[in-house]
Amino acid sequence: MRSLVSFVLLLLVAVVSAISTTGNRLLVVLDDVAEKEGYSKFLGDLESRGLTLSIETPKSESLSLFHLGERAYDHVILFPTKAKGLGPSLTANILLQFLGANGNILLTLSSGSATPSALVSLLAELDIQLPADRTGLVVDHFNYDSASAPDTHDVLLLPPPGPLRSDIKDIFSAGAPADQLIAFPHGVGAALGAGELLSPILRAPRTAYSYNPKEQSEAVVDDLFAAGEQLSLVSTFQARNSARFTLVGAAELFQDKWFDAEVKKTGGKAVKTFNQEFAKRVSGWTFQEIGVLRVNWIEHHLNEVGASNESNPKIYRIKNDVTYTISLSEWSWTAWNAFSVPKNDALQLEFSMLSPFHRLPLRLNAKQSTAEQAAYTSSFKLPDQHGIFNFKVNYKRPFLTNIEEKNTVSVRHMAHDEWPRSFVISGAWPWIAGIGATVTGWLAFCALWMYSAPVGGKKESKKTQ
Amino acid sequence: MRWLPAFVSALCATGTLAAKKSTEQRFNEFHTKSLASTPVKLLDANYRELTSTPRDYTAAILLTALDARFGCQLCREFQPEWDLLSKSWIKGDKAGESRLVLATLDFSDGREIFMSLGLQTAPVLFLFPPTTGPHAAASPEPIRYDFVNGPQSAEQIHAWLSRHLPDRPHPPVKRPINWIKWIFTTVMLSGTVTAAVVAWPYVLPIIQNRNVWAAISLISILLFTSGHMFNRIRGVPYVSGDGRGGISYFASGFQNQYGMETQIVAAMYGVLSFAAIALTIKVPRIADPKAQSVAVLAWGGALFLMYSFLLSIFRVKNAGYPFALPPFM
Amino acid sequence: MSADTLQVLASAGKGESTRTILRFIILSLIAGAAIASRLFSVIRKCPLSAGSQLLSWQSRPSRRGQLSGLLRLSAFWAALLTAASFQVSRALFTNVGSPSLSQSCARAERQSRMVADNPLVDPWFNFRATKYLVANGFYKFWDWFDDRTWHPLGRVTGGTLYPGLMVTSGAIYHALRALTIPVDIRNICVLLAPAFSGLTAFAAYLLTNEMTPSPSAGLLAAIFMGIAPGYISRSVAGSYDNEAIAIFLLVFTFFLWIRALKQGSMLWGVLCALFYGYMVASWGGYAFITCLLPLHAFVLICMGRYSTRLYVAYTTWYALGTLASMQIPFVGFLPVKTSEHMPALGIFGFLQLLAFLDYVRSAIPSRQFQTFLWLFAGGTFGLGLAALVVATSAGFIAPWSGRFYSLWDTGYAKIHIPIIASVSEHQPTAWPAFFFDLNMLIWLFPAGVYLCFQNLADEHVFIVVYALFGSYFAGVMVRLMLTLTPVVCVAAAISASSLLDTYLNVKSPNAEEHPADDNTDGKKSGKTGLKSTSKPVVGIYGWLSKGTVAGAMTVYLLLFVMHCTWVTSNAYSSPSVVLASRMPDGSQHIIDDYREAYQWLRQNTKEDAKIMSWWDYGYQIGGMADRPTLVDNNTWNNTHIATVGKAMSSREEVSYPIMRQHEVDYVLVVFGGLLGYSGDDINKFLWMVRIAEGIWPDEVKEREFFTPRGEYRVDGEATETMKNSLMYKMSYYNYNSLFPPGQAQDRVRQSRLPEVGPSLSTIEEAFTSENWIIRIYKVKDLDNFGRDHASAAAFDRGLKKKKAAKKRGPRQLRVD
Repeated sequence: MRSLVSFVLLLLVAVVSAISTTGNRLLVVLDDVAEKEGYSKFLGDLESRGLTLSIETPKSESLSLFHLGERAYDHVILFPTKAKGLGPSLTANILLQFLGANGNILLTLSSGSATPSALVSLLAELDIQLPADRTGLVVDHFNYDSASAPDTHDVLLLPPPGPLRSDIKDIFSAGAPADQLIAFPHGVGAALGAGELLSPILRAPRTAYSYNPKEQSEAVVDDLFAAGEQLSLVSTFQARNSARFTLVGAAELFQDKWFDAEVKKTGGKAVKTFNQEFAKRVSGWTFQEIGVLRVNWIEHHLNEVGASNESNPKIYRIKNDVTYTISLSEWSWTAWNAFSVPKNDALQLEFSMLSPFHRLPLRLNAKQSTAEQAAYTSSFKLPDQHGIFNFKVNYKRPFLTNIEEKNTVSVRHMAHDEWPRSFVISGAWPWIAGIGATVTGWLAFCALWMYSAPVGGKKESKKTQ
Repeated sequence: MRWLPAFVSALCATGTLAAKKSTEQRFNEFHTKSLASTPVKLLDANYRELTSTPRDYTAAILLTALDARFGCQLCREFQPEWDLLSKSWIKGDKAGESRLVLATLDFSDGREIFMSLGLQTAPVLFLFPPTTGPHAAASPEPIRYDFVNGPQSAEQIHAWLSRHLPDRPHPPVKRPINWIKWIFTTVMLSGTVTAAVVAWPYVLPIIQNRNVWAAISLISILLFTSGHMFNRIRGVPYVSGDGRGGISYFASGFQNQYGMETQIVAAMYGVLSFAAIALTIKVPRIADPKAQSVAVLAWGGALFLMYSFLLSIFRVKNAGYPFALPPFM
Repeated sequence: MSADTLQVLASAGKGESTRTILRFIILSLIAGAAIASRLFSVIRKCPLSAGSQLLSWQSRPSRRGQLSGLLRLSAFWAALLTAASFQVSRALFTNVGSPSLSQSCARAERQSRMVADNPLVDPWFNFRATKYLVANGFYKFWDWFDDRTWHPLGRVTGGTLYPGLMVTSGAIYHALRALTIPVDIRNICVLLAPAFSGLTAFAAYLLTNEMTPSPSAGLLAAIFMGIAPGYISRSVAGSYDNEAIAIFLLVFTFFLWIRALKQGSMLWGVLCALFYGYMVASWGGYAFITCLLPLHAFVLICMGRYSTRLYVAYTTWYALGTLASMQIPFVGFLPVKTSEHMPALGIFGFLQLLAFLDYVRSAIPSRQFQTFLWLFAGGTFGLGLAALVVATSAGFIAPWSGRFYSLWDTGYAKIHIPIIASVSEHQPTAWPAFFFDLNMLIWLFPAGVYLCFQNLADEHVFIVVYALFGSYFAGVMVRLMLTLTPVVCVAAAISASSLLDTYLNVKSPNAEEHPADDNTDGKKSGKTGLKSTSKPVVGIYGWLSKGTVAGAMTVYLLLFVMHCTWVTSNAYSSPSVVLASRMPDGSQHIIDDYREAYQWLRQNTKEDAKIMSWWDYGYQIGGMADRPTLVDNNTWNNTHIATVGKAMSSREEVSYPIMRQHEVDYVLVVFGGLLGYSGDDINKFLWMVRIAEGIWPDEVKEREFFTPRGEYRVDGEATETMKNSLMYKMSYYNYNSLFPPGQAQDRVRQSRLPEVGPSLSTIEEAFTSENWIIRIYKVKDLDNFGRDHASAAAFDRGLKKKKAAKKRGPRQLRVD
């Protein structure tokens, strides 16, 4: 009950305070403040979602992500800069610290300007590789915008990306009109490492490739940085502490002129771009406005008749029947909703000591779940092994907050008076009978011994006479 | 021309310095050899051949120095075990399913190999894992078995081999029944029994003699209390020379001792307790007062001297022990 | 002094009642002295507030006052009695001389010294268990599942310990409460061992009185038992260990056994069985009794001394004692399943057979039939033996438990159970240890055994057997010196008393009548007896010989007392937790790193932070720091210990997953290099390696920790495996920052360390104690950005990551 109340309070707090679950102070880093006109729609959109923007340039002294060791901002957008370095206040170390302190970063690149070395080393730490000499251009001779780039072929047109895998909810292009296309103008493609923290949102088409515009075009084949699906145009990185980092290959994707531009493929009809909605979702995800999970409460108790059902006891006994329930909510834009597991996915509970003894699916418990929170529960019998066990829920999916919950309980052995009594066990009856026989025999012998008169005495008496 | 390869292989199989043959052939050849006599005695040439890559079989090769003039005691102790192991392995695996060749390379035959391997010590047991085939190992480098603690028994080596040859048949080590030993023991047993029966009337008084038992128990007690078991377990040296060429009978340090030392201590304990016994039992039974007082003084003096000497020795062992008796202050 | 006073005093000593009273007083005095002599440690350590050997006993001036008061009192009384007894009579003289002086000497100034090699830590666990018992009651204690040790396995403590000790002190606690004496359970635990040592002295008195008619022997034995260092070592105040009460139970059980055997009385047999049950509940060493009594019975049978007395005593003891022992959950069905209990069972059966044959023989007088019967008996015995062997090999009967078996096959433990061989208490005993623990008794002991052969009654056979086996076991294991000490005291007392009885006899024989009749007696006593006792006893002529021997004996006894006092003060009364060392200027310097570190853990770590350390420190961490540990001194799970050993002895990359899996938060190592403290983990390291190698022979190899020339080195010559092992890194991390460059010096191994020290990436230093004896490291969490720790650490150190392309040739492609 108390947990529920606190959960409601939390909900209210969340609603009044911020649109993002981690705060609303957004830092926008531009090469110079004048450029913000180009992104007015995008920034306005952000402001309208309740974020308070503060625009800075890399060179300004006042710029610092930390103040007295605390985060000065909650989110950062880095727009491409001409400068080779980002200055002392935006080094790779500081940016990593910012992520470590649960700050979120939206990084945009552009083929027009070389990526600063700080960012390159930052990306290298996150296992994201950029083209060799920090400039690269993604072109595609099949899916390009014939209206704006008829001969350079460097404005890619892509359909809204589907879900990454079949078991992942599609949060970036759900409900997108089929005919709309995302325009990806003059962008840089990145190659992602194999780490599970990385996941691409928007991949290049199979026919796209990245090359260095400064070199001759025939040199492309020799050192091809990456091509096709391996070329990730918009990629995300979610750290273990669920701090989010998004790399957008083309800063222009956020520009007004591409928000409401008409693009047409060769042989296709002109359609409106999907960019505005896409930008909203990408930024929303990065700033923890969607795809945020929260554990409201966890409860486990003894599930046996006649046993006390106190919540979260410290100790169980082997082969007890227990019930474990976890309540999850998902934040989408404005409110906490009940989290529903995608249909091909499963939320699992591990009961483990050194290694899992049980790995069970957690099923939705309609009784305990409301509109704001969904309770998932599982009932099972504890293993026949005493020790210190963990109820563990380890749910880590792309584009969703990492959930790793561990509740430690001790599982004790049978106490001396919890075994069945001997006379209940049919196998023990012969032995019990044997004991009885021995006792009676002994008593009989004693009686015989004591009440039989000594014969020796009589004999002697006879002899004496 | 289909007889040619057969002919060639036959040529090779005769085991003259063979050209590069397929691993299959090599294994078959060595296996047939080992069926004839195992472990295969190698020379430089066929050592190289056996260990050349690629190979889809395992080769366990013992590099040893059996010749007396190398004075490798361990080699000679281990050799019979090695032969036993290889014999029982080959006997158990005639078909060669385990694809293991057990071979021996003596120093006198394979000087160059020893040199090239830079081996200072013998024996060394190398296990060359297969480089191709289902059980291929990552590196062709041999696994080395070190004879760290003394000569190993065939079973130990067998366990080691089995560990390194997973999911392959491991024919167990079969020790041949030692008939001589059995016969000998039975004869001895019956002999002793008859001897006992015959000698019983003469032995009985000795067994029932209290003095004998007293002596036995006293001696064993003295042995144990003077740290004899320590010597047995730790295998301490009997005596050791001090730095200046002399002999030091007493080890330095509280937790250490020599064999000689314990015997000296046991002797001292013996003298002390015998003096005590004499004073208690013998002396009061001396009828002549003069002799008695002399005996008292003698035993008492012996006791006193020996005890003071014991204390002085203990001071050597445990520096800072404050107590002493004259004359050994 | 004049003759008449002498007469008066002697007559005072003559009356039987007076003498009994005096003896009683003296006994109580001895007990008091025994107790008091064990309290010095407490009193002395109070200024250090370190408590006695183990349990710290916070110093309050009042208690200290009363203790030393008690001490002076007993000393005073003892001294007074000595002064009197020097004249009164021989018995009294021999009795009181020594304890009184023990007191007066014991008050001499002491100094303590490093006791590094045996960290006695069991009391910490016993104390914890006792607190649990007192807090939760007996049944909770019986079913206690301890989830703060052996993480994450936990320990079924109630079923795997010997509850006797805890139950005893719990009972005392509740009894005192019932008497409205409010007392803290800790004080009971601290003072339990001395209290029981008093009882032990009494038990020794009783046992010796069974052996010899001489009245003084028992009192002498009590004195010896009271102050023999071999026993004081385990019964000083605060050594709250099983042995504290077990030795009393051992001696008293033996006394009851002898009594039952001599009288053939069932009552005493029952008592013996009951105390045997108590012993089983208290100490694993009960197996000593379980094997010694059958052995005694067997020897008696072989000597043709079978009697109904033996039958009654043994059968009563075995039947009831076995039942009693099976009530202890930790023992359970072992008495009928394991080999070390089989002798008792076999002798039991054999006795039944003999009784039957005896009956038959009395019934049927035919000679041949008897011989046949005897053959039959022998045959059955042999058959039983064979059956035992077969059953053991077939596995119906468990073979000897390793600890026990290693006593016979002394090489066994070293090869098969390194965990046993690694304990310092299980090492063989060198002769200085014998002399150190029982100084003059060691040569009085054989004399006493010899005297037992004089008139070889059943009880004397027992002494002989006990002496033989006790000395063998004590020679094999230092720890079993404890079981040897009682018989040494008894035998030595017998010989000393008979010596003194002989030489303190006031009346001298006159030389005339003896030469006449000695040869006649010579015939009478002969064959069976000892050769030395063939002649009749004459007595001692002349005061000179009496004086010399008595004087010498007095000197020896005084020396013995002083020796005991010295040993007790030096070796056995300095706490092993607090190391005291001497400064060059002679002032005492206290090294208190252990408690500093444990206090740090208690105050700076989470309540359930798991501490990984070598098992020697498990109980201490559990008791003083109150944190869960992975392994501790109750070494019930060799694999778990081997896991810790593997984590300690492998590279960081290997250890880190192990530590993550076991949820380790902190790692604690003991490092003596700075101070020259030899009992540190680097010196124990090879045992960790060996134990780990026992389980993972392919991953951990002891040989790889030795240089090619077979040396165990920590300096620049050390092998790569050694340098990369977690233990080495943790020990020497940042160590060379204490020294000028290249001067880093390990004062234990006497070796100079390499220029650059090791670097750690998966763990970080959390705490290092004042003298660097204890170092605690925190296990890092997984890297927030999914990098491996090495590269993350490299990045934090400012090195930029290499270009991925260069790092690994062809980039592997993402599949999802």
